[in-house]
Amino acid sequence: MSGFSEWLADVKDVHAPEALAVGLPTKRVESWKYVPTRGLARTTWQPANPKATEQFALTGGEFVNVPTADGLAVSDNTLTASEQKRIDEINQAHGFGLTQAALENSRLALTIQTTASVVLNLHHLANQANSAGFSTLIIRVEAGAQLTLVEQFESTDADKANLSSLRCLITLARDSSVTHVRFQAANPAAHVFSNLDVECGENSSYRLQTIEFGSKLARNDIYIALAGREASASVNGLAITNGSQYHDTHLAIDHVVGDTNSEMTFRNMVDGKGEATFNGRVLIRKDSQRSATEQSIANLLLSGSARVNPKPELEIYADDVTASHGCTVGSLNKTELFYLKSRGLSEADARAFLQYAFAEKIVEEIEHPDIRELVETQLLGELKHGELIAELKESVDV
Amino acid sequence: MLSIRNLHARVGDKPILKGINLEINAGEVHAIMGPNGSGKSTLSSVLAGRDDYEVTDGEVIYMGQNLLDLEPEERAWAGLFLSFQYPVEIPGVKNIYLLKAAVNAIREHRGLPELKAAEFLKLVREKLKVMQMDEAFLHRNVNEGFSGGEKKRNEILQMQLLEPTLALLDETDSGLDVDALRIVGEGINRMRSPDRSVLLVTHYQRLLDIVKPDFVHVLANGEIKLSGDHTLAKQLEREGYEGFEAA
Repeated sequence: MSGFSEWLADVKDVHAPEALAVGLPTKRVESWKYVPTRGLARTTWQPANPKATEQFALTGGEFVNVPTADGLAVSDNTLTASEQKRIDEINQAHGFGLTQAALENSRLALTIQTTASVVLNLHHLANQANSAGFSTLIIRVEAGAQLTLVEQFESTDADKANLSSLRCLITLARDSSVTHVRFQAANPAAHVFSNLDVECGENSSYRLQTIEFGSKLARNDIYIALAGREASASVNGLAITNGSQYHDTHLAIDHVVGDTNSEMTFRNMVDGKGEATFNGRVLIRKDSQRSATEQSIANLLLSGSARVNPKPELEIYADDVTASHGCTVGSLNKTELFYLKSRGLSEADARAFLQYAFAEKIVEEIEHPDIRELVETQLLGELKHGELIAELKESVDV
Repeated sequence: MLSIRNLHARVGDKPILKGINLEINAGEVHAIMGPNGSGKSTLSSVLAGRDDYEVTDGEVIYMGQNLLDLEPEERAWAGLFLSFQYPVEIPGVKNIYLLKAAVNAIREHRGLPELKAAEFLKLVREKLKVMQMDEAFLHRNVNEGFSGGEKKRNEILQMQLLEPTLALLDETDSGLDVDALRIVGEGINRMRSPDRSVLLVTHYQRLLDIVKPDFVHVLANGEIKLSGDHTLAKQLEREGYEGFEAA
């Protein structure tokens, strides 16, 4: 039994019987072993209703107000053979994949036309109590096109469980580029699921910046295939996990062909009884010669009951490869704290400075100035004693 | 101002300071010299409140207070400043944030009004000029990517801004070229005043050519073996620390 059983029993989708039979993944499923599924199982989930908004938004599982812009087209949402194959893999990846497939409300396909340059701001609106929305976004970026995709989450004071799930398939044709900024500051009762599957063609570049503060539970499955020569991908991520939050990112970068580059930098900062999981996998296949990858994972634990589960995985089968990796777990550096305190900063302010510093290394990389500003402001709101830094930024930044 | 009495300290099981006695009066500059491993840096770290060291005996009275009872930040509020031998890099925090936060934290404890942004910038620009540092240093991360000399200048810049009553300068001359040594030395000299004391810890005599101490002490094997005036530094430069090394 899962909290989706009644709903699944009602829908006609071809995946529903299997989803119902499989239920939610248990601790025995390796990639789900830390995920606390109790809240999902205990809620009787119902379909969400879209809210009125004027923004391009995902609400109640529906995309509303799809913008019009030069070079942006709403296209046929029938999946190509390759897209279908990728979706099938997401469906089968774990037990929740089938539930996501069976309960899908909507599917939007967008094309960024050859050599166009488009900015999309997608707002995720919070779903009502005990309701869930499931949707799929297909983005086809044609040759030489550029896309900036910014995802933001509505933060409300919801205290009843709510859920949103977005599966996003992005395909980059040759010479195209995508900058994807995802800022998840959803309400404290939200369960946010994100599957991101990116395929990079020849000489294309995909850059993801993902910042996660919000929700009760967040699970991100990210798969990036470097499928054309000279393709590159970079992922910069930060999760700030507090209270009884659970944040989980499973990120895999697959060097399908040679002469490809990847970079993965991820930081977890965990306080209270929070728990964060980061699984970062890089696969360099046997014939993917002259590939390069850099991986850096840092975890900062701020309380005795905070937990972090970092797992770096490097699988390299080619021999002509440049790879570097590092993974650290620790608390605030004593020498750094002493240095700040010896300058007259109180213990609380010194700790806030160092937490800010840890997060800022990721946040400062966000190129989009409005989003960076927004993230920094919220970051300082998240930190205990962040006011001093907020005031300093205000007063001396030029 | 500062009275160190029979101070013993250790790291783990290893005794480092074995009964230090030292009196520093207001306005005096004292230099502590000694061979590597003699306990020089331990002494300044213990005085600033670094908790890697355990004080096993003795006391330190600073302006009537028991210094060892105070947290590092309380020592800073009381007017103590340590210039680090290895200034700490803090990636992600701009130098100017630290400087302004520190200045205002200390002003608050002295009962002075907070400096507003414009007043602070005026002050910091004045001090940057003294230290011959570019304004760009303000907007770089604290000590990140600074050369050795830049880090030491940044320490003395902080000292100038914080106007301590007692400055502890730990190997501030190490890693400096001739020009930087002169800038740092003159920066220290500008701070000399009848109500401010300085304790310089150094291995070499060269900084003492610029900052002329009132007293020089030789620290070896955790004890002060000899004290004298500034001519003692010259003598040590000629003769080395041989003869002080033995336990």
